Amino acid sequence: MNSPNSGSDSNNFDPGNTIKNKDRIFASPLAKRMARDAGIELAQINGTGPHGRIVKSDVEAIKKNTATKGFIDPTKIMTSEITSLPAMSPTGGSYSEIPNSSIRKIIADRLTSSARDIPTYTVTIDCVIDRLLDMRSDLNGRSPKEDGKYKISINDFVIRAVALAIRKMPEINTSWTDAAIIQYDNIDVSVAVTTPDGLITPIIRHADQKGLAEISIEMKQLALRARDNKLLPEEFQGGSFTISNMGMYGVKEFTSIINPPQSCILSVGVGEQRAIVRDGALGIATIMSCTMASDHRTVDGSLSAQFLQVFKAMIEDPLTMLL
Amino acid sequence: MAEVPLSKFDVVIIGSGPGGYVTAIRAAQLGLRTAVIERENLGGVCLNWGCIPTKALLRTAEMYRSAKNASEFGLKIKGLEFDFKKVVKRSREVSKQLSQGVGYLLKKNNIDVILGHGKLAGKGKIIVERNDTSSLDLEAKHIILATGARARSLPGLEPDGKLIWDYKDAMNPNAMPGSILVVGSGAIGIEFASFYNTLGVDVSVIEVQQRILPAEDEEISALAQSAFEKEGMKILTSANIVAAKKAAKKVTATVEVGGKKSTISVDRIIMAVGIRGNIENVGLENTKVEVADGHVVVDEWCGTAEPDVYAIGDLVGPPWLAHKASHEGVICVEKIAGIKGHNPLNSTMIPGCTYCYPQIASVGLTEVAAKEKGLEVKVGKFPFIGNGKAIALGEPEGLIKTIFEANTGELLGAHMIGTEVTELIHGYALGMTLETTEVELMETVFPHPTLSEMIHESVLDAYGKAIHF
Repeated sequence: MNSPNSGSDSNNFDPGNTIKNKDRIFASPLAKRMARDAGIELAQINGTGPHGRIVKSDVEAIKKNTATKGFIDPTKIMTSEITSLPAMSPTGGSYSEIPNSSIRKIIADRLTSSARDIPTYTVTIDCVIDRLLDMRSDLNGRSPKEDGKYKISINDFVIRAVALAIRKMPEINTSWTDAAIIQYDNIDVSVAVTTPDGLITPIIRHADQKGLAEISIEMKQLALRARDNKLLPEEFQGGSFTISNMGMYGVKEFTSIINPPQSCILSVGVGEQRAIVRDGALGIATIMSCTMASDHRTVDGSLSAQFLQVFKAMIEDPLTMLL
Repeated sequence: MAEVPLSKFDVVIIGSGPGGYVTAIRAAQLGLRTAVIERENLGGVCLNWGCIPTKALLRTAEMYRSAKNASEFGLKIKGLEFDFKKVVKRSREVSKQLSQGVGYLLKKNNIDVILGHGKLAGKGKIIVERNDTSSLDLEAKHIILATGARARSLPGLEPDGKLIWDYKDAMNPNAMPGSILVVGSGAIGIEFASFYNTLGVDVSVIEVQQRILPAEDEEISALAQSAFEKEGMKILTSANIVAAKKAAKKVTATVEVGGKKSTISVDRIIMAVGIRGNIENVGLENTKVEVADGHVVVDEWCGTAEPDVYAIGDLVGPPWLAHKASHEGVICVEKIAGIKGHNPLNSTMIPGCTYCYPQIASVGLTEVAAKEKGLEVKVGKFPFIGNGKAIALGEPEGLIKTIFEANTGELLGAHMIGTEVTELIHGYALGMTLETTEVELMETVFPHPTLSEMIHESVLDAYGKAIHF
């Protein structure tokens, strides 16, 4: 692991500061502040200043591009663009255009390159979570009424289990670069949160060093601030592993697109009662299916499988998370 | 590769002032075969008749003032006097030394220096009327006009070199006049006013606008006026000079202020009412080069409407500053050489300095200009009286004013009056170029005890955090 300040080697980058495959994003102080205030990630801005530094005019240009909301005359589009874009209105009827917000464009750019460039495969595992649910209600029953009040969710357990599993298998906590696989020392878990503008992934930093209550309280605050569009760049830029949970929608299982430069993303489904066969007899258990999408350049299939095995062991026997 | 004939160049620059000679050196660095044409002295007005010799004169004034105040510092100086001829002689020697330095630099860079009057003579052609009446034809792929500017004059007040002086007369006089009326209170007028006033001449300044140094921040210009008046200068603002009657040794100016006329009788009038570009006799008439208000019209890369003809510096308009000309020239020639990634000159980031007593320096927007642009501002101010070094120097008067955009913390401008501020302003210029916000300036450690600490304090004051005031 390179130290965070070890010069300009292009293969050295700190996931805490950048999501670009570079050691550092150079931006003027003014550009940094303007981008932060506008909710624009520096990594999405092309710098035109000296040595590619991002300057004020670059941020202004992006803001201008994303601010072109308002009425678009469909007749003009019909004459100028529709001939080359026959699929614009497949029904032949009227339509409206929803201008792309900057966050929508960022999602589009990054996930397109992820889906295009990363050799992705998925591995699914079922976890029995009855003991976890018991432990959860027990712990929540012990929450203080006022200061330090918490209500731990299943997802909070998942965050902790992932972090502890990564500690055991740091090969998961990596990024691909042409010259080397970067393996991070910090375990920073990104958690996908839906906002009115689109998806954002606030980060629980050093998740392996935090208890369930701490994770739970921090996650709640991050999610609230994410919905209000008030996250600071350092709160959602970086991260070394992502969790996406759609259990609240009753989704049984799904896969996600990897959030680069991370290697893996875990898709967590609903915990639901299913019939299972145990020791030759039919029984009922609460099952949660988890699917991990991995970058084959950094994480081989067996590694993903072993990781999920470690993860499953902790989820199914959550007392081990105390160890 | 065949040798290029002597008369064929990649770049020919007409004029060797701070625009022309710097451009030539940069062009040569970029591997362009370069020639400079100069009709008088290398270094142009700046080195020979402007920036540099006036600084030499003002240095004398500064030392004289210090010597007069020597007793305050525990020094005894008896029989203090000055030799005016030697004062002027020294300033001429300083100019000469620097002009020779330019010659050396041009030679070192293998630049052809052609003495004579250069003129456009058809596409890619220049004719040089040499000082020995012969002429020389040159060919150039690119021609950069850097012919500079000269003093504007007013009807009836044309400089005659005797009673009515232009800047050149004012810096090369035979004897010291007893009284002077300076017409115009821009940097040039104020520097002469300050120089002569310090040496004991009875100086009046007349300004047509409402305040002196009209390009400066209003607050600074008000402080300057009261400082100059304290030094004994008489200042008339919103005033017009309507007539001048010359006698043998005196000139009597009729001055109109608010509809009321009065007369001022002085030994000399110094005309400092701005400058106009040297657009005549350059051969512009047979080109597409456009001229407006006495200056050549150029795009952001200093290109004129005529292909491959460029113009830089005073010739293309304000601010009439040597450093602006040099920068334009470098940008222009780098563009010609196809260098990518550089930007046009941002004219709001050009610092301006006036070397009067007290000195004045500024960069960026004034408070009023920022507000007129609809910007929300945060303004910080710090007075010299709160600075240890200023007190120790015996210079406790002055102010440093810093203007930020309130929402982004962008450094919009800085305005200073006081001793040595011309040597402080670059700190702000650097900050603006690097797109600083208030945070980086606050985090910067300024050395103690220095005048520069006032920059820090002024920045802190904009956010209510000044320590020493």
